[in-house]
Amino acid sequence: MFSGFSSLSLGVLRSGAMCACLGAVVCCLGSAPAFSQAASESAMRETLDIGDEPGRVSTEEVVITDGPYRRQLVFFRTTDAPGTIEIHTAERFLYLVLGNNRALRYGIGVGREGFQWSGLVTVVRKAEWPDWTPPPEMIARQPYLPRFMAGGPGNPLGARAMYLGGTVYRIHGTNQPETIGQSVSSGCFRLANGDVVDLYSRANVGTKVIVRHAATL
Amino acid sequence: MPPSFFSSPRNTIKLHAGTFVLLALAVTLSGCAGTPGETALPRATPAAYPVDRLIGKWGVASYRQDKDKARTEAQARAQCKLPYVISKGPTDGVMMHVADDPTPHELTLKGGPGGKTYLGFEGPPGDEQDREILSMSDNMFVTRFVSPETNTRYGTFIYVRCGTARS
Repeated sequence: MFSGFSSLSLGVLRSGAMCACLGAVVCCLGSAPAFSQAASESAMRETLDIGDEPGRVSTEEVVITDGPYRRQLVFFRTTDAPGTIEIHTAERFLYLVLGNNRALRYGIGVGREGFQWSGLVTVVRKAEWPDWTPPPEMIARQPYLPRFMAGGPGNPLGARAMYLGGTVYRIHGTNQPETIGQSVSSGCFRLANGDVVDLYSRANVGTKVIVRHAATL
Repeated sequence: MPPSFFSSPRNTIKLHAGTFVLLALAVTLSGCAGTPGETALPRATPAAYPVDRLIGKWGVASYRQDKDKARTEAQARAQCKLPYVISKGPTDGVMMHVADDPTPHELTLKGGPGGKTYLGFEGPPGDEQDREILSMSDNMFVTRFVSPETNTRYGTFIYVRCGTARS
């Protein structure tokens, strides 16, 4: 079930340099990107994938209610301390460790092929209804978009964001809850708004986040 | 009428027949209509602002809550590295986009009821595709979509002119 346990590596598979090369295509925030010293200025901005749909509305009540991606209490054997977040990219699950071999499991959307990574990071900042800056590629395709959108229900970053220190990635909500369980992002981890609100209330700044990615053959 | 109604050829025939009856009835009754020329759509009046004031390069940002207005204006100013360019149209309007359509169209400013000004296609002011101009100066204008649904999705737009020269 937890096939990704043995594959932890403390570096990115596809490093931040990939993120930098792709510039604003990625969903990145630039705060001291230890992974990507070559990160360009464009990668420093809060941007998202070009497949996102700004303007679609998803309220903070939206949760995944059925299937494996529903938020649920699960058996989870780990040596990590309660409060730790473990993300298993291949399984599309985020675990919030509760202790006593239990965890809260959330369904997530992850980076698409070539944008998945692994590592040990911490939550350095949290934001409710974060602002969003569409990448230039999206502006070229949808020139009617604002170049900056203050946080709100139509914002692709959704209801909450937790910024992962040393990277350009975040755990955030989404206005596309149907993408939970899929690999569509540029390396960020997205939850349905109601689920990210729940996680946000349980995770503090300083929370350890372990991202595990099992390579597939 | 639900869209599915149109998907059935049989229903389409029914629609055409029904439409014909309605049209015939309308033609018959129009002779005794009491107020010819009366319409629910307001007529456009001269706009309060010259349309060529829109021409130029603009930083654009949007917000939904008033508490975000000031910082959104600052963000609009910061977006001039990726400006929205408004050029003169082939006739009297300007080339801009309407919501959710990547093709630029010639739009114009229209005066409407209550002294309001709308930005949109030539025609009655306050159309669903129009934007209402909430304020306008030489270097900034603020708009919101007339359509409540579109306005909910995109919020209020602030346009701040990039530089000082008008192109």
